[in-house]
Amino acid sequence: MPKEKIKKHKKRLTATKSAANVASFVKHNIEAPIAANKEGRPTCYSFIISSYDEIIRAMDVTPAWTESFAGICAAKRDSARFLEKAEEFNFSRSLCTYALCGLGFDIMREQTGEMPSNSPWGGQARPDFMLSSAQNICDPRGKWYQAAQEFMPDVPIYNTGLQWPVFEEDVNVKDVEEYYVKYHAEELRGLVKFMEKQTGTKMDWDKLSETVNLVERTWDLIWDTYELRRAVPTPMDTGDAMNTMVPMVFLSGTQRAYDFFLELNKELKEKIANNEGVAEEEKYRLMWGGGLPSWFALNDFNYFHSKGAVFPVEITYRIIEPMNRLNIPDTNDPIERIAWRHFRFNTFWYERARQRPGSVPALERLIQYIEDYKIDGIVMHLAFSCRTAHLGLTWQLSQLAKIYKPIPVLITGGDKQTRKILKKEVPSLIMESDIVDISSYSEVETRAMIDAFIDTLADVKSKKV
Amino acid sequence: MVATTGSKLKGLARVEECYNDYGGRARELKSDGKGIISFLCAYVPTEIIAGAGFFPLRLRGNVHEPVTKGDRFLEPIACPFVRSCYDLSLKGKYDFCDGLIIPHACDSITTPYHVWKYTLEPKYSHFVNVPRKTTGPSLDFFKAELNSFRKSLAEFAKTEINDENLIKYIKLYNENRTKVKQLYELRKSDPPLVSGSDMVKILSASMSLPVEESNQLLDESIAEIKTRERSDIKSLPRLLIMGGTVDNHDIVTLIEDCGSNVVCDSTCVGTRDLIPRVEPTDDPMDGLAKRYLDKINCPRTQRDKVGTTFQDDLEARFGDVGKYAKEYKIDGVIMYTYRYCDPFGFEISARKAYLESLDLPNLYIEDGYFAGTMGRLRTRIQAFLEMIE
Amino acid sequence: MTNYYAGLDIGSTMTKAVIMDDSEIIASFIGSTGAQHRKLANRVMEQTLEKAGISFEDITCVIATGYGRINVPFADKQKTEILCHARGVASLFPTARSIIDIGGQDSKAIKLKNGRVIDFVMNDKCAAGTGRFLEVIADSLGLGVEEMGQMAFDSKTFVKISNICTVFAEQEVSDKLSNGVPVDELVAGIHESMATSVHRIAKRLVLDKDIVITGGGAKNKGLVKMLSQKFDHPVLVPQNPLITGAMGAALYGKDLVAKQDDFLKNRKERKLKNVTFFE
Repeated sequence: MPKEKIKKHKKRLTATKSAANVASFVKHNIEAPIAANKEGRPTCYSFIISSYDEIIRAMDVTPAWTESFAGICAAKRDSARFLEKAEEFNFSRSLCTYALCGLGFDIMREQTGEMPSNSPWGGQARPDFMLSSAQNICDPRGKWYQAAQEFMPDVPIYNTGLQWPVFEEDVNVKDVEEYYVKYHAEELRGLVKFMEKQTGTKMDWDKLSETVNLVERTWDLIWDTYELRRAVPTPMDTGDAMNTMVPMVFLSGTQRAYDFFLELNKELKEKIANNEGVAEEEKYRLMWGGGLPSWFALNDFNYFHSKGAVFPVEITYRIIEPMNRLNIPDTNDPIERIAWRHFRFNTFWYERARQRPGSVPALERLIQYIEDYKIDGIVMHLAFSCRTAHLGLTWQLSQLAKIYKPIPVLITGGDKQTRKILKKEVPSLIMESDIVDISSYSEVETRAMIDAFIDTLADVKSKKV
Repeated sequence: MVATTGSKLKGLARVEECYNDYGGRARELKSDGKGIISFLCAYVPTEIIAGAGFFPLRLRGNVHEPVTKGDRFLEPIACPFVRSCYDLSLKGKYDFCDGLIIPHACDSITTPYHVWKYTLEPKYSHFVNVPRKTTGPSLDFFKAELNSFRKSLAEFAKTEINDENLIKYIKLYNENRTKVKQLYELRKSDPPLVSGSDMVKILSASMSLPVEESNQLLDESIAEIKTRERSDIKSLPRLLIMGGTVDNHDIVTLIEDCGSNVVCDSTCVGTRDLIPRVEPTDDPMDGLAKRYLDKINCPRTQRDKVGTTFQDDLEARFGDVGKYAKEYKIDGVIMYTYRYCDPFGFEISARKAYLESLDLPNLYIEDGYFAGTMGRLRTRIQAFLEMIE
Repeated sequence: MTNYYAGLDIGSTMTKAVIMDDSEIIASFIGSTGAQHRKLANRVMEQTLEKAGISFEDITCVIATGYGRINVPFADKQKTEILCHARGVASLFPTARSIIDIGGQDSKAIKLKNGRVIDFVMNDKCAAGTGRFLEVIADSLGLGVEEMGQMAFDSKTFVKISNICTVFAEQEVSDKLSNGVPVDELVAGIHESMATSVHRIAKRLVLDKDIVITGGGAKNKGLVKMLSQKFDHPVLVPQNPLITGAMGAALYGKDLVAKQDDFLKNRKERKLKNVTFFE
């Protein structure tokens, strides 16, 4: 019988020690719910940025982050078998590949009663309940767990309604904020009741208030820390941020996350004092302008570095703003604070966008970062299975050129059509790829595109001089 | 051929006229001074738009028009039906419209709202933030959101949208829904009195007219169908087509050509949204909120699980289809969804399981939104029909 | 009077015809469909008639199947290749419960119960899992498809090709070649990848044995070996895997005539002439 030859995968280099240590966090996040199951402590499937982190932590429930697990499968290049399993059950390849991976895994685990052989880091723990997130963000956040329930019919779901107003330049959010926040708060209270029933314990409201306070301090700390990256040369870039996002989104509400960013803050200050950058010679400062990265191809950042290109700032997974600018109304109710904080965060750039004709909040954010971080070019990734993070990016770039100024852009992902279009507006190159499905990715082509983009940046820079 | 009131056509001939020149009547009304507000998807309350004095025109796509301009700003990973609507809009098909309303339906409709707004530049646009859940706080939220929409639209219309007007249009649209149901009843016989292909045309045409004219057209069509000489529809396997917006007759024609009668559906230009009624309530906004949020059974809405078993939940989620299958004596179901559709895509396995629990043979087709792909489907459909013979 | 039944399977690349009497196949022929979609289908029919030594008027029932089955003016009925492959395979392998047909431009999996189709799945969108995939790679390597099949069959190990998409797989092969990976291990990897694609399509049906492979892909030793591995037990291959569709069509015709006493009376007039252009 023919045997398969397997190539060993090398570990990726990061600029900061903190980022390098993140692997242990991720591993912990995967193993914690497995251990909790063994010890009879409650576990739940959860999505990031769903406003229920504090509630989960305050109730001592151990979350199994399904998006993280899919990302790990992708990074370890072991997602194919799970994607194929989902396809067997008629889940189309055009759906969110995080979900396909997760569903495929769940099906395999439920069919056999045990974790699939050689599951990445022990596998995805079977949850006691699942927390969907019915919100503006995306369809899969409601459909995924509902679909998973076919294979785990005994596992109940609570779906937290979380809406925020879509930007309209003739609408002042102050006119609608009350009923939006009221709705969210009611949904969160419903969540607490649901979790109390599932766990058989009561919410410790003081603990919740403390956890909320911790998250707010963590947001401020992350803000201060990330702002250090304005330095020239930048001490840390998106290559590391795709690691440091782990404590930000998966450990929100824990002391561990706060301590992590304290360490990172210290490390960055030291590097700045020593004038240490990310690349040997920092020639180009880029922004990761949108889209989720290809988790199996984070090495591409290192390739950028080898060409002198670094990413001092990114849009993706930078999901914090400083508390003093969020202007949360005075309230002692932790649920109200959570709801207000999310509302303010989600509408943060709205007033600014209203001031500039033709602008939308996402563009205001890009413009602010271009100026604050002295950005030469933008890179974006259009993963073919994530509609919500990628629809409209083409238009955004075109509009940015109109209302601000044209900036060189490299887009990985998308397809020939988008490439043709953007070539007219800004120098850009595109190929198909995805967040989890590696069969769509070509390392050879990606590297060639990066080379061509660097040439463009060099060209633009030489013209400026 | 332009669909105008100058047209002497009635009934099914008028249907043909309106279907082939979708929006023609609206264009004519516009030149007569009427304001036209276009909208996407079933979740936009037409009663509010009509109550403001506008004619609400539902956007339709065209499977015979390849997407070209639409490629410019709507990436290919969006629902192909939405892309077709966007492409047609860019090409000026709906340029007589004064406004555009987009609801929080699914990702393909929601995420590109700003792309529509800033590239088409309608005089007025609004996003209706429909929540995902249907009961309790979600219903209260939706009512508040609808009132925001009402306020905003009233400002644009420079007129109050009062309760009487709302009640008037609720009544008219409810009549429309009743007539649509009567039309469906004509398909219960074996063979049905009207083909599935013609049904798509009649329903699309009725959407292209103001509700009063639509009601009249439906009355005429029903009368004509009932009294016309026996059509050449034969007694063939009876199918139900299930999916999203099937607003072009081509796929239904193909399915029927392969040797079947499509006698019922669960689609967005069909039973899903053209039949559920608004219940009378003291505050008409309560009735509207309930009808649009809870009565439209679309996968984008996420309902809490019912019961403890998977089967109980399936019954709660898809029981309406099971009911239709029984009433219309269905022999098989074709699940016809568009590529890049998350709401349906995630449900195919569950829908299949539900249909199998009813011993209903079913075929799943995932397609683009383009007539050119029809040939490819013929073998699948025919093989399915051969299988259930 | 002897009854003769003809089955015509008009595929995208090859047209296959079978003529049988009440007990066995008396002639079969495989010819090119021609670039203009079945303009040559009638010629294939003519050649088969010649081999059988009978005239067109002697045929009781003609059933057309395959991609080009529509608009065959001399056919009495047209049936899908799914039904016809099932009928053909069921007569050759009574224990068959699954069929995988691997054609030049499409592939399909069919589930049978008591000889009847109960489920099927088709792949005609993507080249992966079809003959086209192997052709493209063969082309880029400067080898023949048969040669590659033998190479894959003989190789003891294979290098995994991670890209299923034909274009990317081609790139990956070329990349690995230039990095010194031996060509036979690569070719074996390509066949493994092909088998994976086919297996993926088939897995949706939860296929039971006995599994029969038909179509051009069934003649590829390397592919058949890889498929047996994927399905975890030997797959069966008919002696002439290209004509199972046409044979099934002829058998269907035979069943039809047996069921309807007045078949000949109700049969429409038909002459053997050029097939019209398919739109």
